[in-house]
Amino acid sequence: MGRSWWTRFGIVVGVVLLTAWFLLPTYYTYFVLPKEQRSSEAELQKVLPAWAPSARHRLNLGLDLQGGIHMVMRVDTQTALQKRTERRAIQMENYIRENNLGEAEAVADPEKLEVKLTVADPAALPAIEKDVLATFQDFTRVSESGSTVVLALVDTRIQQFQEEAVDQAMIVIRRRIDKWGVAEVDVRKLGSDSIQISLPGQQDPEQAKELIGTTAQLEFRMVDDTNPWAADTFRNLPPTSESNIRLVNTEGFPQLEAPSREALLAYVADKAPADREVLLECVRTQTPTAGGNDCASYRTYLVERDVPLTGDSLVAADWSMSQTGAPEVNITFDPTGALDFANLTGRNVGRRMAIVLDDEVNSAPRINERIEGGSARITLGGAGGGRTYDEMAREAQLLSLTLKAGALPAPVTTGEIRQVGASLGDELIKKGALAVLVGLGLVLLFMALYYRVAGLVANVALVLNGFLLLAGLAFFNAALTLPGIAGFVLTLGMAVDANVLINERIREELDSGKSARAAVDLGYDRAFWTIFDANITTLIAAVILFFMGTGPIRGFATSLIIGLTASMFTAIVVTRLVITYLVHGRNAQSVSI
Amino acid sequence: MRILKNKTDFDFIGKRRIAVFISSVLNLAVLIGIAVFGFNWGVDFAGGTLVEVKFNTPQTAEQVRERVAAIGDASVQSIGSEEENSFLIRLGGMTQLTEETRDLAKKSLEPFGLTSFIAQLDNGLINLRTKERVDPVRLREAVQGSGTGVNEVRSLGEVQGGGFEYQVVASGMADRIVEVLSANGQADFQVQRVDYVGPQVGRQLRNKGIMALVYALIGIGVYVAFRFDFKFGPGALVALLHDLVMTAGYYLVTRREFNLTSIAVLLTVVGYSTNDTIVIYDRIREVSGKAHGKSLAELINTSINETLARTLLTSFITLLSLTGLLIFGVGEIFDFAAAMVVGLLVGVYSTVYVASPMTIWIDQRRSRRGAATEKLAA
Repeated sequence: MGRSWWTRFGIVVGVVLLTAWFLLPTYYTYFVLPKEQRSSEAELQKVLPAWAPSARHRLNLGLDLQGGIHMVMRVDTQTALQKRTERRAIQMENYIRENNLGEAEAVADPEKLEVKLTVADPAALPAIEKDVLATFQDFTRVSESGSTVVLALVDTRIQQFQEEAVDQAMIVIRRRIDKWGVAEVDVRKLGSDSIQISLPGQQDPEQAKELIGTTAQLEFRMVDDTNPWAADTFRNLPPTSESNIRLVNTEGFPQLEAPSREALLAYVADKAPADREVLLECVRTQTPTAGGNDCASYRTYLVERDVPLTGDSLVAADWSMSQTGAPEVNITFDPTGALDFANLTGRNVGRRMAIVLDDEVNSAPRINERIEGGSARITLGGAGGGRTYDEMAREAQLLSLTLKAGALPAPVTTGEIRQVGASLGDELIKKGALAVLVGLGLVLLFMALYYRVAGLVANVALVLNGFLLLAGLAFFNAALTLPGIAGFVLTLGMAVDANVLINERIREELDSGKSARAAVDLGYDRAFWTIFDANITTLIAAVILFFMGTGPIRGFATSLIIGLTASMFTAIVVTRLVITYLVHGRNAQSVSI
Repeated sequence: MRILKNKTDFDFIGKRRIAVFISSVLNLAVLIGIAVFGFNWGVDFAGGTLVEVKFNTPQTAEQVRERVAAIGDASVQSIGSEEENSFLIRLGGMTQLTEETRDLAKKSLEPFGLTSFIAQLDNGLINLRTKERVDPVRLREAVQGSGTGVNEVRSLGEVQGGGFEYQVVASGMADRIVEVLSANGQADFQVQRVDYVGPQVGRQLRNKGIMALVYALIGIGVYVAFRFDFKFGPGALVALLHDLVMTAGYYLVTRREFNLTSIAVLLTVVGYSTNDTIVIYDRIREVSGKAHGKSLAELINTSINETLARTLLTSFITLLSLTGLLIFGVGEIFDFAAAMVVGLLVGVYSTVYVASPMTIWIDQRRSRRGAATEKLAA
């Protein structure tokens, strides 16, 4: 056999080994792990040998096969933008009055996101307009006439706001899902105004909607950091060693810390003193992941049961970096809220105030003085902590978004929910597997009968094709959905088409009197471009499907793309290798086809 | 084993006029059918709520319809075999806020001093303003009392110029279905599956679906024109359109749900049909290289005959692979397989009797024009 044959042989062997290697995590998941642990990536990582690929690369079952809920939430930014416009109108009037710029009236038009500013003295208009626009930089002039000027929200600001609104919603959603303790949750942005959530194993879409779709509850509560409760409890009723609960003093007062939320909550249940409550704070990991939980551990705060101030009274929260390089968040309350806030801060100088979002402490800054005027600045630590500018900026941004999540409701509504019960999922898996096996079986049988040995070779290629597809899906951590199975069945048909083209060509050449070797070579050469052209066109369709689809349709497209690519490889390279060996290598005079 | 022992020489192209006529009539019929009857749009495109319910005791569709009568325009369809007792219950809205319930809700809220009431039926939201601060719990009770389930009442804060703003979020329809089915304490069913799709999302999906088809057609048209001579391009595109229309006809005639999976089917049919067309075109290209003096029609006929074995085989084998899905597939998967079978057969047909006649016609027009210019020049 020539050198090129051996090279190709090496490549094929290499691909087969690679395929087997990539299928290891999947094999372990379904044949080694006990059933209950199948969905846990952590468990899988434990049982995998060190030289196997990471547990991430395994074949997942799509939601329609394992049961679960797939939701798409839409963030209604229009309402929030309208409220912002209204608020700005009030702020503009106040600003003009406080700075003695003249007599003016600002009326908001929420529908158009515009503010009409009317001044008493037309001559003063240009100066007032200039001043207002310099202060309220998210507005720009639309038109002017006489003593009136119309200002509108700037487009880029609107877009920025929409992005922020979606980010806010994602923060809230992630926190809430985290509370459920559901494994394998996936939360990600979809387009410019939607959030996609996948909850495997969840059964009640109403519960999911309720827990996810509602606005955040923002509260301001006082922290009791002088109470030795944490240290006492730790000493007198020590936690078990498995719970990994420790006593720490990172913030300057004793707190209990643990990696597991449930363990910590279970431990502190019913142990809080009267009129105090224990709330947890999520200590974020340094690198937030794209979807899912990003809390490295949780810490306890002892807070007063009383809630003196809620997010209802908050009207704005923006972030910036101070001159000393410390990140800060500036918040503004409405008139009643401002009064409450002044009283609260006045009464509690020197104490910490916990900002609680959905019963979880987001941060607990110290009150340095009584704060009047309804505006406050929260400073979040400084550069000394060894953190980069980006990290600090991000923390400030997150806090301001969190506060706004309570203050500026951009309602989150359900765009789409698809829920599949687990029992239906099981049934579908069984039927799906049967369908594939029946289809595959019939095709294999026919090929062997019709093309004899060449048919058997094609069958081997087909089976290899199947494994390549599975390995490909595992590598991309794609989910196998029911349409994906259908896509796989379809690729079977197309893969076979390639073999049929080649074999028919070989038969034709044999008929016209060519020798076995020549016929084989000609058959493959002539058929190659036809197969290539034909597969490319189906690939075009599959790629378009991939980009325009979500969920199950995307699963179908992925199956198709990987399957087609693999089939081009197996139908051409693999079968040619074997047949060439059979014909050239053994000096055969005829080929069984 | 061989299915065609000798070289065949059927005159496919000769019969093309009749075939084109029949095809045109069928296509027109389907298009008219679509315009008049429309598809049975799934919730993917129309929006709404779809609940699949499995009963533990035998039920007929009539009985189920009676049980959900309280809701109004719910449609009930049985799926699967009789023993399965599974039904699909479909409702237009996504939440319990409909036009009727909205008016009732408004009346129930008036005692609180309403200054403004705006209902978004699409999202099931009511934005309202009152003069005085109100306890959200009382708002919830009022709205629920008027017949609309409430998920949550949010307080949106104070309003410019005085007043307080609240938002009522209505509960979903699936809840209502479960509630109504459980009336009189009946608990003889399980909810297998729930699909909600909001109308905006539905519209988006529908537009995306259509755009996907358009892009696919353009992409493939360009590729074919690039790889083969230009005169083959239009034929391929018209054949694809023909296949799309006929496959859509399957959904029209059987009244099966037309949803995202159907779009996937259409796109796959496009891929398959082009596959088929390209194999023939490739052979035509090869054959024309060798045989000079023969007309295009003759060349095409020869090509079709030469590739006949392959065409029949591939179609047969792909049908074999779909058999499993047809037997064991249920619901969407069965629809998928059945539509694919239609698309497959139509795809093969269209290569011979749509793409080829078109190509021949274009070629004849070109040569006639060429001959005419020659006559003028001479």
